[in-house]
Amino acid sequence: MNNKFDALKDDDSGDHDQNEENSTQKDGEKEKTERDKGQSSSKRKAVVPGPAEHPLQYNYTFWYSRRTPGRPTSSQSYEQNIKQIGTFASVEQFWRFYSHMVRPGDLTGHSDFHLFKEGIKPMWEDDANKNGGKWIIRLRKGLASRCWENLILAMLGEQFMVGEEICGAVVSVRFQEDIISIWNKTASDQATTARIRDTLRRVLNLPPNTIMEYKTHTDSIKMPGRLGPQRLLFQNLWKPRLNVP
Amino acid sequence: MSGGGSCSQTPSRAIPATHRVVLSDSVQLPPGDYSTTPGGTLFSTTPGGTRIIYDRKFLMECRNSPVTKTPPKDLPAIPGVTSPISDEPPTEARQNHRQNSPEDKPAGGDESQFEMDI
Repeated sequence: MNNKFDALKDDDSGDHDQNEENSTQKDGEKEKTERDKGQSSSKRKAVVPGPAEHPLQYNYTFWYSRRTPGRPTSSQSYEQNIKQIGTFASVEQFWRFYSHMVRPGDLTGHSDFHLFKEGIKPMWEDDANKNGGKWIIRLRKGLASRCWENLILAMLGEQFMVGEEICGAVVSVRFQEDIISIWNKTASDQATTARIRDTLRRVLNLPPNTIMEYKTHTDSIKMPGRLGPQRLLFQNLWKPRLNVP
Repeated sequence: MSGGGSCSQTPSRAIPATHRVVLSDSVQLPPGDYSTTPGGTLFSTTPGGTRIIYDRKFLMECRNSPVTKTPPKDLPAIPGVTSPISDEPPTEARQNHRQNSPEDKPAGGDESQFEMDI
């Protein structure tokens, strides 16, 4: 288990410069002895719940991305577009991040928050996502903050009841609408996707006529829709880096 | 990360106080093959092993924990995201907010950020 986990982290070595400024290591939060001490490439330590904190089933990482219109699409500018905000292991650590971040409805421009299990990158090419898909809900302006909060609380609290299937959640702030989505591992598993849909209906308290759309990531690759630029962002950000030893 | 691993390290704790939950619709009940209760099972054994389950109400209560009042030390300063957009130096601004925050309110620039309209 840990090996896989670490291997995923190692894939990440390409964003070394990000890690320097946005290290996911926490202060007061206890750090396990360095599991990967021998690997000089990895400076990260495991994030674990502090004393008397409420552990989560999984560790999660917050990411933030923003498209800068008009910039050349060099990998360097893409790199500036996605940032790891940090990783948490307990309910309290989650609130510590969340309470010091703006809510999605107050974001400006073409921005996204991503909350994924630690070790899963918010990109379609990640092993956990490559056979997966996502439920997409388009929201009129004004609803994103509340819906995002309800969505991530349900995810952190393991309300979806689909085992290991959930990968993460995204809120995308766009010009005329906002989009929330939740990603799972196996797009072909209809029992899972149906259960995720029903849980979304329950926890988001959506108006009855809200349209929910399931998209497999492979469909998104073939037919990039309105989230296309996001796809390009991650492709350009990570693809050239996956082969870096 | 495995459920079994993290749970075996979890210290025992008191049974949470009970509270009553009114259901208006059967859809609010969790699926029948999991041993959760609608009002807030904290630790629950499921067929796939023990999983740590929290309901929304419980998570919201944890928001007021003292540790949440200060930002994580390594929180990156992203203007408009984790720090104000304004001209003032972001770190200074954040510290001011922290110092001025009443105990019962999460530190943050924007009070409306924490409104609950449900």
